[in-house]
Amino acid sequence: MSTMSTVIQVILVLFLIASAIGVSVTGNLFMAVIIFMGYSSIMAIIWLFLESPDLAITEAAVGAGVDSVLFFLTLKKVHALKGTREG
Amino acid sequence: MSIREILAAVCIILGILVFCCSILGVYRLKYVLNRMHAAALGDTLGLFLVVLGLLILGKDMFHMLKYALIVIFFWVSSPIATHMIAKVELLTDKDYEERMRGK
Amino acid sequence: MALSEKKSFWQKLKAWIDGEEILINADKYISTREKPELPHFAKHFSTENVRSNKKLYRLMSVFVSLVFIGIMLITVTHLPTFGEASNPSNNEVAERYLEQGIEETGAINFVAGMILDYRAFDTFGESNVLFLAVICVVMLLKRDSKNISAAEDQENAEDDVFDMEDLKLILKKGSKTIAPLVILYGIYVVLNGHLSPGGGFSGGSIIGAGLILYSAANGQKKMQTFFTFRTFTLISVACLLTYCGCKSYSFFTGANHVGYEIPKGVPGAILSSGFILPLNICVGLIVACTMYGFYALFTKGEI
Repeated sequence: MSTMSTVIQVILVLFLIASAIGVSVTGNLFMAVIIFMGYSSIMAIIWLFLESPDLAITEAAVGAGVDSVLFFLTLKKVHALKGTREG
Repeated sequence: MSIREILAAVCIILGILVFCCSILGVYRLKYVLNRMHAAALGDTLGLFLVVLGLLILGKDMFHMLKYALIVIFFWVSSPIATHMIAKVELLTDKDYEERMRGK
Repeated sequence: MALSEKKSFWQKLKAWIDGEEILINADKYISTREKPELPHFAKHFSTENVRSNKKLYRLMSVFVSLVFIGIMLITVTHLPTFGEASNPSNNEVAERYLEQGIEETGAINFVAGMILDYRAFDTFGESNVLFLAVICVVMLLKRDSKNISAAEDQENAEDDVFDMEDLKLILKKGSKTIAPLVILYGIYVVLNGHLSPGGGFSGGSIIGAGLILYSAANGQKKMQTFFTFRTFTLISVACLLTYCGCKSYSFFTGANHVGYEIPKGVPGAILSSGFILPLNICVGLIVACTMYGFYALFTKGEI
């Protein structure tokens, strides 16, 4: 493993931890879902580094795409989106 | 170092600079629409320059086609997403008129 | 039935089967019960003092999380080093997969060979769980004669206005360009599941994302021209049955040494590796239908 790859991986893992803390700390649910989206995208890249592209594809499609859509829809259902017409 | 590599390096470094500018813009600007303008700069010009550098470096025709597809995909999808965000902002922001007059 | 009435055994049994007995007893219990006296320290934790104890609860939640994090971290330190050659997970099973995987399954992608050949029963269970999940969501959220509210009707009507032609022109044109590409890529991932990274779950979720994109841009009505609840159930159930049939066939013939095995073909060709390709297609279709089904049920309450 080259040094450059290690440096990039360390940066990615630090970012992952930061976004994981961010999801639980932020009070705004809308913001939390968006940070979770970022978490999933970073996780997909880390899966690629760990040589499992299957998981990377699934993580990118499910974690960043479908999951956040479902989260937004749930927030809309329970009227938890502030600042929109759902109020 | 051949001319091709130098050209590619210049393109990639320029692209990364554009990305830096766009990130700086996202942090500095206050209003959603201004921020979106800054973010879109990185999505279009920055990505194009980086991928252009990779295209110059590329050896396999199939890989180069994939890079070109990435650019096309981003150029179709990113403006639409930006357009939708701007529309939501326009529909839900109550102080929009004041903001525009105040500028 | 009054509480004090004398009842025969059969009447009692009938009431017990219908659940009336429990209800009557519950009413009686609620009307006569007294609040149990709590010990002194427990008063602070009772449900009546939630508001005044907010800080305490926060501290306790942090404490519990920290304890769990500590336990997990201690467990991680006892695990063998990641990726080391002498790990217990590198036993003869993995060796056999790697050495004879191509011969026995015919799939170049070992992961596909593992999950759809050696451990195909697992994957069958997972597909069933997905189907079950979407059926539960249908039970809870589907809009029928019992599940309607005026507010939701109004919201749906507002959404229909936003689906009109001239209001979302750019989005519609864009989705017409992108959604076919996304779905095509998903189909590619599903069909090449035994040759390259990917497979049923990944490709299916990509197809589902493409369907969601199309539905979000063009509205539910346009989607229903080719994807209704009937198609959804037909595709899901047909895929599950096909999966079950294929795997039962290979279990039966393999266990009894009947010898009517599916030819493995040349490893690397698209039509190879026995049942993996049809099984991948089945899993992909189920996952795609489930993803879109979740989206449709969460937005409008109907597929």
